[in-house]
Amino acid sequence: MTGTITRRDFLKATGAAMTGVAVPAAGLCAAPGEAGQGAGRAGNGSGLLAISLNVNGAERRIEIEAQMTLAEVLRGPLDMTGTKVGCDRGACSACTVWVDRVPVASCMMLAVDVGERKVVTIEGLARGEELHPVQAAFIAHDAMQCGFCTPGLVMSCAALVESKPNPSIEEIKDAISGHLCRCGSYPHVFAAAMDAAKTLKG
Amino acid sequence: MNRFEWTSAGAVAAAARLGPVTVAEAMATQSGAPGTAATVLKAGGIDLLDLMKEGLLTPRRIVNLRGIPELGRILEGADGSLRIGSLVTLAQIAEHPLVARRYRALAQAAGLPASPQIRNVATIGGNLLQRPHCWYFRSLHHHCLRKGGATCFAFSGENRYHAVFAHEGCAMVHPSTTAPALVALGARIELLRRDGSRRMVALESLFLTPEEDIRRENDLKPGEILAAIILPPMKPGVRSWYERQGEQDSFDWPVAEVAVVVKLDSPGICREAAVILGAAAPVPYRAKAAESALIGKPSSAGNARDAARAAVAGADPLSGNGYKLPVFEALVARAILHAANQG
Amino acid sequence: MAGNELRPMQYPVGIDPAALGEVERRVSPDEAPPLPPNARLAWIGKAVPRANGHAKVTGSALFTVDRKLPGMLHARLLRSPWPHARVLSLDLDAAARYPGVRAALPIHETVGRAVPLPPPGTSPSTPPARQVLYVGDIVAGVAAATPSAAEAALRLVHVEYQPLPFVADIEGARSGDAPHVFDGPVAGDSHAGGAGGDVPIAQQGNVRGPDRSGSRGNVREGFAQAEIVVEGEFRTQVQTHCCLETHAVVADWEADQLTVYMSTQYTVGVRDELARVFGLPLSRVRVVVDAMGGGFGSKSGAGNYVRAAVALSRQAKAPVRLVLDRREEQLDSGNRPATVQRVRVGARRDGSLSAVSVDSYGTAGVGIGAGVGNFAQSIYSCANFAIAQSDVFINAGPGSAMRGPGNTPGAFAFEQIIDELAERLAIDPLALRDRIDPSAVRRAERRIGAAHSGWSRRHAPGSDAGPVKRGRGVAQSFWGANVQTNSACEVRILRDGSVELLSSVQDIGTGIGTVLAQVVAEELGLRPGDIVVRIGDTDFPAGPPSYGSMTTASITPPARNASHQVLGKLFDAVASALGAAPENLVAVAGRIATADKSRSMSFREAATHLRTERISAVASRSDDYGGFARRFGDLASARNALGGVQFAEVSVDVHTGSVHVERIVAVHDCGRPMNPRQIESQVQGGVLMGLSYALYEERVLDRNTGHVLNADLEYYKIGRSRDVPEIEVIFLENYQGMSATDAYGIAEPANIATAPAIANAVYNAIGVRVRELPMTPAKILSALGRIPQRSGGQ
Repeated sequence: MTGTITRRDFLKATGAAMTGVAVPAAGLCAAPGEAGQGAGRAGNGSGLLAISLNVNGAERRIEIEAQMTLAEVLRGPLDMTGTKVGCDRGACSACTVWVDRVPVASCMMLAVDVGERKVVTIEGLARGEELHPVQAAFIAHDAMQCGFCTPGLVMSCAALVESKPNPSIEEIKDAISGHLCRCGSYPHVFAAAMDAAKTLKG
Repeated sequence: MNRFEWTSAGAVAAAARLGPVTVAEAMATQSGAPGTAATVLKAGGIDLLDLMKEGLLTPRRIVNLRGIPELGRILEGADGSLRIGSLVTLAQIAEHPLVARRYRALAQAAGLPASPQIRNVATIGGNLLQRPHCWYFRSLHHHCLRKGGATCFAFSGENRYHAVFAHEGCAMVHPSTTAPALVALGARIELLRRDGSRRMVALESLFLTPEEDIRRENDLKPGEILAAIILPPMKPGVRSWYERQGEQDSFDWPVAEVAVVVKLDSPGICREAAVILGAAAPVPYRAKAAESALIGKPSSAGNARDAARAAVAGADPLSGNGYKLPVFEALVARAILHAANQG
Repeated sequence: MAGNELRPMQYPVGIDPAALGEVERRVSPDEAPPLPPNARLAWIGKAVPRANGHAKVTGSALFTVDRKLPGMLHARLLRSPWPHARVLSLDLDAAARYPGVRAALPIHETVGRAVPLPPPGTSPSTPPARQVLYVGDIVAGVAAATPSAAEAALRLVHVEYQPLPFVADIEGARSGDAPHVFDGPVAGDSHAGGAGGDVPIAQQGNVRGPDRSGSRGNVREGFAQAEIVVEGEFRTQVQTHCCLETHAVVADWEADQLTVYMSTQYTVGVRDELARVFGLPLSRVRVVVDAMGGGFGSKSGAGNYVRAAVALSRQAKAPVRLVLDRREEQLDSGNRPATVQRVRVGARRDGSLSAVSVDSYGTAGVGIGAGVGNFAQSIYSCANFAIAQSDVFINAGPGSAMRGPGNTPGAFAFEQIIDELAERLAIDPLALRDRIDPSAVRRAERRIGAAHSGWSRRHAPGSDAGPVKRGRGVAQSFWGANVQTNSACEVRILRDGSVELLSSVQDIGTGIGTVLAQVVAEELGLRPGDIVVRIGDTDFPAGPPSYGSMTTASITPPARNASHQVLGKLFDAVASALGAAPENLVAVAGRIATADKSRSMSFREAATHLRTERISAVASRSDDYGGFARRFGDLASARNALGGVQFAEVSVDVHTGSVHVERIVAVHDCGRPMNPRQIESQVQGGVLMGLSYALYEERVLDRNTGHVLNADLEYYKIGRSRDVPEIEVIFLENYQGMSATDAYGIAEPANIATAPAIANAVYNAIGVRVRELPMTPAKILSALGRIPQRSGGQ
């Protein structure tokens, strides 16, 4: 039905005329135009919002920009860089943290939306020096290579074994089906999660 | 993402009074630049953040619906119906015992999209109202028909994941994986208007084909808020099943999916049937020929196969997605038999 | 140390335990004495837990993206939205004035792409107007106090583009009337697996080639002798590396020092590159990496983005952090090129090969090197071999090395043709390989793998009833056993008995730090946990790169030799206290003892006898004892290449076209295995990357607009947990008596055989061959002839 694509269509798409107009921003990833910028600056006029976040059992009062994700706030102002961002679109799950004990992608949640809910990150999983059984099992089974996806995988596996005492291999695969480990540590991750479940039941 | 004003609504009526527009309206502009200066509602926020991160949506104000108690509940009606608040998450639906028992296709469909992390946050309302995931639509640099441009890039471009039915004008597939199950189950939705009144419509009638409106996927009116999805009481002999296939088994969009609901009488003759295809068309696609082929016949493998063949008979595949037809055919036959043969 | 005369020593040789013998090598006295087989060692060959495992599971491991320096700025790059355009003007003024912005620069770097050769007789004084050659080509960069300020400033950069005709598909680019990606002949480095690099090669339009180097014998005669000829055309897709940690750098330009924290596979290479580019002495450039989130070939050099970050830091006089986002990563951080290969094999009835020809073209976008490696050339015995490889340029981001470059696509084609030949000859594919494969190691691997995989239960192609059909297939790996001789480390013993190892070698996730601790501990009679391993910093002795499967082979022998040498100094210091000659002392179980164990003291006590605060020895990689097969500067190939054989078991649903890999048995060799659990991790990873290449991954480039449509991790599909089959990893202990550790690599061989093994299993399942990657439902259904003709319409 549609014909071929004309240059005009595509040019429109990139927001530029043949010559003359700047390609909006963009380059490739930013929002063109200034309309969104600066509009609706919330709160105190500085463009910053004062919020309180409960992270790993501690109340943290911080000022953030409204558009900051939980992942950005954890890694930036809160200086907890254990939570990793691999894609920033919820497609790799490296940024998994618990919000009220449920694993979520912290790159796809606004920090301001966390509200009263309690956040647990990889930094808060061990009890003092004592590793969570999932962490210990990850080391024992070498369930990592480069280790960049590891904090997220640990958080998902820990949530699973704490809610299901006897997970099957299929349940483990389901629980981590959103994680991307490019080094391919999955077989060792399965073994580690199984092992940790046994330890917890123990 | 752009900066915005952040407001949390305590009640649906309060949210409605803030003058929100639909995401489609917020994105609509004349110039090819993304939409601006609008107030939009946030449920789980997954699609909203996705659009904002791509620079496709730059709202002035975001009204947070999360935390409005009435939207977050699943309630059983006295008549055996089930009312699912629009902010109930996909994970909550997939795990709900009543849903699993009575509306199996929905439980199956809600438990599969994206990842557990996303399903723990994504809501049923957001899932139904999310914007298309066509890769041209999601690209800031492709000003397609649905975004006010002059071209559907998919017809002459890369269309392996696009529609095989009813794609007049736009080859998107409807992105909601719960919609086929909900439509097959006869779900209705409750919409709250700005003046506080409510209207109920069949979910199926909410969705718009490109011919009806190329700029919107659904008929949500300005200022309306999707409050709940209502599933009818299940009559005796009614069973449902959902099948899907992607290119891989983890974290993948389906290339084909189907929800089937059949009502069998005691000798096993099919009296009512719904066969809804997903990842097939710009709307959840009712395979009417398959439904007719089933009614009045026993649910045998041969009849399932005939119905499956009928389901794809009218398809009009694009240059790169003809493979979807045998996949749909296989899935429809399997879903019918699974639905009919479950206990 | 001692004199230079070589001494004869006896080394274990052969595959343990089946064929273990001894071989005499004449080695320098600086070399540590021969190591017995692993069974007799304390730490080497044992599953010692990963040294930085604790840091990785607690989130404390410091990746480049986690680095924060005082006053650090955040940079963003402006990239071309056009596949081909002339940059008429670039105005950075408004961006530079944006609050918080500290630097804004045009960026025009061309690392990784082909570069035009100047036409003869022209003066280089007038550079041509800047052109962008692909969507994602870097145009400018800004550095600002906050990420959002950098983002906002980027929007204020004003660029005038004049769009030019472009071509974004390989077949289109080959046609005579295609727009030219380059105006004239080009040259450049070839990293991605092809031949041809910077040697002069004919170029017509967008096609550069063919390069016929590597051919031998006379294929015309060879095919004339053939009693059976099989041939086929195979297509492989563009695969992207998808490192979980995107390319990342923190560049800190100070008055007298450039320090670069970078997610890299080769600290020393980056240091050398930056020193050259920025005109600094090597002594003033330092490159540091601690934890590193995956490279797979894409983080071998400094690349354009690091140069941009350094330039911004120099201008801003502050540290600059630049981390690519996922879209940038997919567009412009390298990729495995697509190939089209026409492969032809002639054989006699007994299976012996009389001729092999490979005719290939491929595209590395605007880069060079889209070839098929040396797989067909090297793996089987055949006197007559002809190869012709061409690069086809398109307007897309340049390719780069990726895990088994060249050989991975090459094996996909060639191992299927060998499978076809076996069927035509009516002999088992393993028996055919016994006939034509000169490698005794692979022969052993085939035998072991056949037993473990249940190969004898393999049935005739397509013979299962019902819609879900099962099949088994096998394929082999070939990869050079690479060594870098410019590879050194230092081992120190301190007066309190603590021990340090220092080298610039980086741990990209393979666990080399753990292996080095094992080596030092073994030699010093300590535990691996006693060794402090300091690596990933060019302030330390120059270690090898982490690519080419050469790290372990290059750095473990010097680690052992340096340990041996520093231990000799410790022996000298304690000899009199123990009343024995230094050469009669041994280090074992945390003690220094006389050979007869009659007298001893703890290692810690021994260290107190040192005359100075610490002693140290630096050793570099000596040549393999038996000599190398080939050598190019710092790089060498060992005499025995790396093998590997993989067996795949699949099920294919012929109604839906869906392929499930159910089991892989991977049998590999890497000389002396150093840490079996880490090797298992790496082999599993290689198999899964190969599986994902076989079934899911494909960069989708829109030929109409030149944009990558799946520059994300959503539609760029990678196998994940539910796609993982049962994987059995078996590796040989293959002693060769070649170095102080006798260890070689594993990473790439583990990846090369997987896709063809799966393809051969798919054929065995459905009786139809799939010659194109990835083997999606669409390709399977198409091969089966199950896709209806289009009814028309669109």
